[in-house]
Amino acid sequence: MTRAASADERLRRLLALVPWVAARDGPRIEDVCARFGCTEAELVDDLGLLFLCGVHPFTPDTLIDAAVEDGRVWVRFADWFARPLRLTAAEGLALVAAGATLLAVPGTDPDGPLARGLAKVAAVLGVDPDEAVGVELGAAPPEVLAAVQLASAECRQVEIDYYSYGRDAWTSRVVDPHHIYNAAGQWYVAAWCHAAGGDRIFRVDRVRSARVLGSSFERRPDTGAPPVFSPRPDDPVVVIDLPPPARWVAEEYPVEDVRELDGGWRRVRLRVSERPWLERLLLRLGPDARVVEGDGQARRRAAERVRARYNGKVSQP
Amino acid sequence: MNRLERLVNLVAALLDADRPLARAEIYERVPGYGQGESARRAFERDKDALRAMGIPLVTEPLHPDGRDPGDGYRIPPERYRMPDPGLAPDELGALHLAASTVRLGAAQGPGSPPEAAVAIWKLGGATGGADATAPLAALPGSEHLAPLFSAVGERRRVAFRYRGEDRAVDPFRLSYAGGHWYLVGHDHLRGDTRRFRLDRMESPPRPGEAGAFQRPPGAPVTGPPAPWLMGDEDEVEALLLVDADQADWAVARTGPQAVRERRADGSVVLALAVTNREAFRSFALGFLDHAEVLGPRDLRDDMVAWLDRMVEDAPGVPAA
Repeated sequence: MTRAASADERLRRLLALVPWVAARDGPRIEDVCARFGCTEAELVDDLGLLFLCGVHPFTPDTLIDAAVEDGRVWVRFADWFARPLRLTAAEGLALVAAGATLLAVPGTDPDGPLARGLAKVAAVLGVDPDEAVGVELGAAPPEVLAAVQLASAECRQVEIDYYSYGRDAWTSRVVDPHHIYNAAGQWYVAAWCHAAGGDRIFRVDRVRSARVLGSSFERRPDTGAPPVFSPRPDDPVVVIDLPPPARWVAEEYPVEDVRELDGGWRRVRLRVSERPWLERLLLRLGPDARVVEGDGQARRRAAERVRARYNGKVSQP
Repeated sequence: MNRLERLVNLVAALLDADRPLARAEIYERVPGYGQGESARRAFERDKDALRAMGIPLVTEPLHPDGRDPGDGYRIPPERYRMPDPGLAPDELGALHLAASTVRLGAAQGPGSPPEAAVAIWKLGGATGGADATAPLAALPGSEHLAPLFSAVGERRRVAFRYRGEDRAVDPFRLSYAGGHWYLVGHDHLRGDTRRFRLDRMESPPRPGEAGAFQRPPGAPVTGPPAPWLMGDEDEVEALLLVDADQADWAVARTGPQAVRERRADGSVVLALAVTNREAFRSFALGFLDHAEVLGPRDLRDDMVAWLDRMVEDAPGVPAA
């Protein structure tokens, strides 16, 4: 820990740690530290201070007794802190949402320890866990998700049949699946792509099939979940003026710059690596949006292509 | 005097008190406050800090019979103490794994420990599972989540501004779908169950009295809101033809129950209930020229008109 914990943060931990230690007969220091996420030095410091605490008139019988000995810790006479502080709404929500999220991951036992633990916590919070919070992690073919998870866990390469949304094309490629994660409501595989010769991020719901190969790969130290979409600095720029109903683009897309214009219009600047991606955006924004900078013909050409589908007679099912 | 020590003593003193303590008594019983204005300022700061971490520090009249004015402070132990949920070690371990692999965007500022981690501490802390440093799932946070979670649990009607209108909603459930948090509840303005995106709320939800409503039996509790169902328009059934190479993905998005027909060439016809035509059009355009709106007639005509305006349009570069 590089940053000194604030008094508030130390108090939060202490009020949780004291009831746990007090209910036990001398737990080991390293166990306490692991449970409550602190270093040995921090723990010894905080217990040393607790030793001076109590209530008026601070005679021996009104003081907390805290001791560190032979690698074990004891806290006695701390009846005020016999139970931990109730969960706040934010803490309860965070825990219930995390539990509901993990339960929504395909393959999690719906009646296992997580579901049981969640039900008990929810009961203390006075909510019904099945009713209060629902989490949908997005559609992904379960067999594909299972295959890439297995491949990632066992450091094996996997061959995927992938639809590139940006380029509007299907390709087959061998990848090293370093990390599987869910973000913005979608499952992603962060992988080294042998076809592209670089790191790529694949959406699991656009993988048609995945075949785990016998060949293995070496896992790199994890750097956490990469961003979902990271434009490259040399991608072409497009600048669009958005009418008021389309202001949302600034919230939903990774825009580089937003400027407010008169009449509720907004000017956004985006980097676009793939043409079909831009086409979808422009077609959805519709005729009122104005391309100020970039390929001024892209919208008309895309509209013509889609419009051509509507020339024939409707073949009703 | 160390501030942490003063805070611990303050909490102990207020929990120990069987009646409200006046400020002067607190300064006397808890070392480190000194006197006068500096004592007052230090106590105000401590009081705010304790309340911010959820400690029920209450203000009550010193003399309930009113014989003397003035307020005092205490912490009612029954409101402070968490009942024991009775978690088995494997249950606590599973919750810890969830808390350490699921990232909920923090409502707290950076630097504070994540709320889920503090929750695990309070439940007794857990070891193991923390080595899974890479998050499995990342959900966005929202300042409205915690208050709405309380409102759902305590059945408080909430009032907030949404799409330029004042809403009064009986909150049934928080729902995360498609990367966004929604509140699902009975909207008194519309007289029906509606979903509200938390990041589109135009004012913080204000909770009313507890126990203000009963959740109707059979209230919808599951299902991600398809965007084309998130509207107030009259419902129509739209038919969308999707080409073979995009069919699996489209069906994954709509659910297999939407498949009306599977054609020999691998394409599918999807039948979708639509109450938001704009959202449906966006969905259809996501397939570019790999999909076609077959019906009903007016939806198809809308799409053609929409495209025609862009086909006929000038390049889109406005005069400087």
